[in-house]
Amino acid sequence: MVETAIDKESYVPVEADFRLKGKTADDFVDTNFASQNFWKEVVARFWRKKSAVIGLVFVIIISFFAFVGPVMNEYTYSGQNLDQKNLAPRIPIIEYTGFFDGHENIKTTSGTKTVNYYFEKHLPDTFYWFGSDNFGRDIWTRTWSGAQVSLIIAVAAAIIDMIIGMSYGLVSGYFGGKVDMVLQRILEIANGIPRLVIVTLLLLLFKPGMITIIIALMLTEWVGMSRIARAEMLKLKEQEFVLASRTLGAGNMHIIFSEVLPNIIGPIITQVMFSIPTAIFTEAFLSFVGLGIPVPRCSLGSLISEGFNSFTTHPYQIIPPIIVMALLMLSFNLVADGLREALDPKLKEM
Amino acid sequence: MKKYILKRVITAIFTLLAITLILFILMQLMPGSPFNDEKLNESQKAALYAKYGLDKPIVVQFFRYVTNMFKGDLGVSYKISKNTPITQLIASRLPISIGVGFAAVFIGAIVGLLLGLLAAFKRDTAWDTLATVISVIGVSVPSYVFALALSYQFGFKLDWFPMLFSAKDVIRSSVLPSISLSMFTMASIARFTRAEMIEVLGSDYMLLAESKGLSGNKLVFSHALRNALIPIITVLAPLVVDLMTGSLVVEKIFSIPGVGSLLVNAIQSNDYNVVIALSFIYSAMYIGIMLVVDILYGVIDPRIRVAKEAD
Repeated sequence: MVETAIDKESYVPVEADFRLKGKTADDFVDTNFASQNFWKEVVARFWRKKSAVIGLVFVIIISFFAFVGPVMNEYTYSGQNLDQKNLAPRIPIIEYTGFFDGHENIKTTSGTKTVNYYFEKHLPDTFYWFGSDNFGRDIWTRTWSGAQVSLIIAVAAAIIDMIIGMSYGLVSGYFGGKVDMVLQRILEIANGIPRLVIVTLLLLLFKPGMITIIIALMLTEWVGMSRIARAEMLKLKEQEFVLASRTLGAGNMHIIFSEVLPNIIGPIITQVMFSIPTAIFTEAFLSFVGLGIPVPRCSLGSLISEGFNSFTTHPYQIIPPIIVMALLMLSFNLVADGLREALDPKLKEM
Repeated sequence: MKKYILKRVITAIFTLLAITLILFILMQLMPGSPFNDEKLNESQKAALYAKYGLDKPIVVQFFRYVTNMFKGDLGVSYKISKNTPITQLIASRLPISIGVGFAAVFIGAIVGLLLGLLAAFKRDTAWDTLATVISVIGVSVPSYVFALALSYQFGFKLDWFPMLFSAKDVIRSSVLPSISLSMFTMASIARFTRAEMIEVLGSDYMLLAESKGLSGNKLVFSHALRNALIPIITVLAPLVVDLMTGSLVVEKIFSIPGVGSLLVNAIQSNDYNVVIALSFIYSAMYIGIMLVVDILYGVIDPRIRVAKEAD
């Protein structure tokens, strides 16, 4: 038998034994199993979904222009100049490429002819980036200030919705029993009324304006939110942390809003994101029917409705608001979809 | 089962009654009286009020209103066409709206189903991506954007289909409105079919069916598709709502003489009576469809029924 063990007495420690061994090679952390902050994980999952990121980029770009766009040129959203009405889009520098140089094809009885009103009216230094409408208002400014109005209305409605629907659902789910029964029957009836009918009638009754539209939108969307909040509450209210909190003497309201609410914030945020495009759509619909924002203010819907009157003769007037609105709704939907998957990875696709 | 249906029907009736009450209150709150014609003196007005029962206590008026509504008497129009019964205004318009709506559901359901099946069977290929892109766009872009785009491209530029609805050429002039209305239906059905198909195809009973030696069409249609179709009924309710909303604007864009454009006209000319009557009709239709969907769902899926009965 060969003695291989180090003889304890004769071993003299060297300095290297006391130095920290470089363990970077062993330092591999398995990210799959490592405990991470929940929100960090959500963000990571969100970034992995390309469509959601694209949606977010568009939301940011449109929001940026909605607030900066209207002040980027000298025109205002209500400033009229009847001498310069129905001018086609013209953008400096880009005009030399042949696009956006202010020309327009006019369909006449004898065929199509191309005209450039900027030259016919001797306006060499006038530029309407998206053209001007039939009152000579700048469509660029109007599109972005319309987007601004639509965004403000949608976001405000969605947030107020969230507060009301969430509280309703949480209270209903938490107390259960008779309270829940009564609240749920009310909800069933509220849900049975077509949203559109309520919104339309409300706006007939009150003077149209931003606040009225927000209230009308708020009244229609809280039902979905309260359902989600109630379902989540039913899942959580039997859990130990609620019991613990109650044992320690916490009141009902404290348990509902400080203990349970932070745990269900994910689905709620997703629902808010989904209700924003719905609100944009409903607002646009109302404007289209003539119940929207009163003139001279404009929203995307009222711009589309105005552009519709001349959309065969001057199609450039309706294209900017339509594209902005379609993109806005699409991107909010993409972001909401991505968020839903990021918050709940178990969820099946689509 | 009976108990379940009974419960649903009672809820539906209560909902409809609640709506009638809301509509009645709104009607009372609307500014102006129906007879604010300056030529009428006080006694004539009183006579008219007596004739239409407007001098009775408000509770009596409400009961009259409710019974009239359910009997199908919706009152008369004051502005759009004076003193024409609203039922008469609607009678000629309803078939057109229902026709276009039905065509939209039909196109949407067929195309959506095919798209969903294609995406499910060719999962994670270019086809799947294409179907997903189409359905995301269809769900998130409002129907009147499609209506305007189609009307400009195929109606104005190419002149394939008429831009405006004409009674002489119903089929050809319904094509564009039906397609633009069908986009949402199509997209939601495609999404749903895909998700359900993927789940069903991965289930144990499909494995069993396959191991029994089944293959091809029989496997797909009588085992997979039948089970995948069940939850698609749930999409029906939101879909009908969208059709109703969409139809208002789409009918206006294509100037279709339907119920939707009547409502838009009534709103724009402040003809409250017509607005409220149409709101009642829309609500009744909506509640009716929700009821049918709920009951159908209970019939098809016993779990729902049991859960709701226990509730």
